[in-house]
Amino acid sequence: MPKILKRISLVLPTLLLVSIVIFSLLAILPGDPVTAILGQEATPEAALALRAQLGLDNPIYVQYGHWLWAVLHGDLGRSFVDHSPVVDSLMQRLPVTIELALGSFLVAVLIAVPAGIMAAARPRGIANYVSTFIALFGMSVPHFWLGMMFIVLFAVKLGWLPASGYVPFSEDWHGNLLAMLMPVVATGLRESAILMRMVRSSLLEVLNEDYIRTAFSKGLKDWQVVIGHALRNAMIPVVTASGLMVSGLLGGLVITESIFGIPGMGKMIVDAIFQRDYVTVQAGVMAAALMVIIVNLAVDLLYSMIDPRIAK
Amino acid sequence: MAKRLASLMVTGLMAGIGGSATAMTINISLDNDPGKLDPTRSSMIAERMVYQSIFDKLLDLDETGKIIPMLAQRWTVSDDKKTYTLFLQKGVKFQDGTPFNAKAVEFNLRRGQENNSLRKNDLKYVKQITVVDDATIKLELSEPFAPFLSILTDRAGMMSSPDAVKKFGEDYVNNPVGTGPFIYKGRLKGATLTLDKNPNYWQAGLPKADQVVYKIMSDVNVAFNNLRSGQVDITNRFPYKELSNTNAGAKYTVINKPSLGFRGFYFNTSKPPFDKKEVREAIDILIDRAAIAKVVYNGAVSAGHSPFSKSQFANGPADVPPKVDLAKAKALLKAAGKETGFSFRMTLPTTPEELQVGQMVQGMLRPAGISVTLEKADLATQIESGKAGTYEALMVGWSGRPDPDQNIYDFAVTNGSLNYSKYGTKEVDALLQQARIESEDAKRKVFYDKAMQILVVDVPYVYLNHDNVLFGISKAVKGFKFVPDGVIRTVTLSK
Repeated sequence: MPKILKRISLVLPTLLLVSIVIFSLLAILPGDPVTAILGQEATPEAALALRAQLGLDNPIYVQYGHWLWAVLHGDLGRSFVDHSPVVDSLMQRLPVTIELALGSFLVAVLIAVPAGIMAAARPRGIANYVSTFIALFGMSVPHFWLGMMFIVLFAVKLGWLPASGYVPFSEDWHGNLLAMLMPVVATGLRESAILMRMVRSSLLEVLNEDYIRTAFSKGLKDWQVVIGHALRNAMIPVVTASGLMVSGLLGGLVITESIFGIPGMGKMIVDAIFQRDYVTVQAGVMAAALMVIIVNLAVDLLYSMIDPRIAK
Repeated sequence: MAKRLASLMVTGLMAGIGGSATAMTINISLDNDPGKLDPTRSSMIAERMVYQSIFDKLLDLDETGKIIPMLAQRWTVSDDKKTYTLFLQKGVKFQDGTPFNAKAVEFNLRRGQENNSLRKNDLKYVKQITVVDDATIKLELSEPFAPFLSILTDRAGMMSSPDAVKKFGEDYVNNPVGTGPFIYKGRLKGATLTLDKNPNYWQAGLPKADQVVYKIMSDVNVAFNNLRSGQVDITNRFPYKELSNTNAGAKYTVINKPSLGFRGFYFNTSKPPFDKKEVREAIDILIDRAAIAKVVYNGAVSAGHSPFSKSQFANGPADVPPKVDLAKAKALLKAAGKETGFSFRMTLPTTPEELQVGQMVQGMLRPAGISVTLEKADLATQIESGKAGTYEALMVGWSGRPDPDQNIYDFAVTNGSLNYSKYGTKEVDALLQQARIESEDAKRKVFYDKAMQILVVDVPYVYLNHDNVLFGISKAVKGFKFVPDGVIRTVTLSK
């Protein structure tokens, strides 16, 4: 456990560092927020008034100080663009991104694990060739293209699913599930390809170990050896890959979100960057960083459950 | 059996998504998420679309672009063209119950003149506002200003509830209250913005629909797929490449009408090589506008050579693009001492179409020995470099306004707010000023024609084309009227 505690103690310094880096990057971005917000029609008076209102007339370190002070008091600020509290946007967007990321991950695992096991258990069987083909296809085909194809088939031609859009789960659960089905499958398919190759190769490696031969020689059936003996050890690299995958999914599914009109974090951050909505960018990136840290912690915990030696 | 069951389940679930069958909802896709829901703070067209449903204006435009009554049922203009008297609709109430009257108009116009208002420039000539009685207001201008009525047909003429503005303060931008046909209900940022019918709307029998939902779809192809699948009734953009695919069996039609705007690029006349007008003119006559309109826009723009599109009275002979003339261009370059050619940097927007335009311009200038480096930038960066004069050539278009003055004055007058070219001549300044003072369209056109005669030779700005407004509209939608300002009126829509 001490290792985990050490990891937890690093969370705050990491977030602080991330906030400084983001603040500095935004400061050197060309095009200032006042111009982005007011557009071509801004009068000098309007620009001055807005600059003062947003506190942009202060030096960058003062702006950062104000921001940090407010955040420490639980205030993430208000959007430069529409003046709504950033915490409201985050609360609207976070569940969407988490749902999309976890849903995609679930699809990926549901496809990858059984297919990977089958491919490894019968390296010269048909399952191996089929799964290798699917993996190659999944990795080669861009998921935005797959998403578009899904929309054309299931929404436009067949009319079964909504082409895009989002309904919160709390408002209409089946509407939510229907809206999320295509994006989750489109992203999940791609991720499953990567995960499946990982499961397969890791399992193949373990299956060549001496203790597996011992297990076979004891007269155990194939599935008993694979599931009972090999899988647990083969899962360690897979868990690492899964952790990275979930972090990636949480951090940015901008293209999936754009194609399917899903108001997630990725799109929020990108839109906010274009609008120079510094407050929103800062909050979005911090939230994404926090989620990545939490996922990494969870992966560490999982390791120690799979192989208690790692925790020590 | 299993297949049938599955299809029943899907149909059942779909019915759930659609909501109850009795409520009539018009779904409109917008390519941008509207920011502040307050006309005094607005800077983008997506916002004007939404405002149109929430706020009525003092005046409006009809389908021919003519100014018609709205909250002001009639008006008079004094002989010296400086005093406008507006006679207001009686008995109108804002959505929060606040009465609409002359005092409310005064409140809104004064609010539009405040320092942090983006309408300040529109209303800068309004010197005095006098409430004559509850239904009459008198506006005195500091000087004659012909575009004034036209300005009241857009955001400067939109009326907010004074009570709501006072009540919400800075938060009014998220709590808009007008007298319009639909009431703001709420938004899911980046996804939807919902408006409900105003049951007490002052115009009998309107609005027709129960609800309007704006869906944010930044990708034009995504919006198009939603139109095809029936999730969206109207899209505020339409993919150019799909224009030729609209067949008779399609469930939608396309509105393809000239807008009031223009596209083109600025020259920075304060720096070489564009400080020489021969160089600017040479480039201007090397560009084949018709080819750009055909190749990039599938014919959905018209080649142009002035800020005035065909639907505006100021459109004149200058709008006819020059013939491509390599020999003349080379002669002009020689006169400017640039016969061996030169290179310059063109900053342009990030859309694929504008990049293609840039590439075509690149190819068209090459025979004269001019090489162009293309550099993409988002709007904020472009405006900044425009204002600072740090660019060489800068492609920024204009979505257009109903009065010609609003499409040329600030672009061409010395020190104009949109004059990124840093251009200025006394002749053009005087002509544009005279066009503002004169109130008859025919007489104003004479001044615009003369100004354009100078501008097509001086070329501070290369006009390339006039964009068309492209809306995709489901055939189920009834009551759609196209108004040349390109803003969708929802009040008459039904399905």
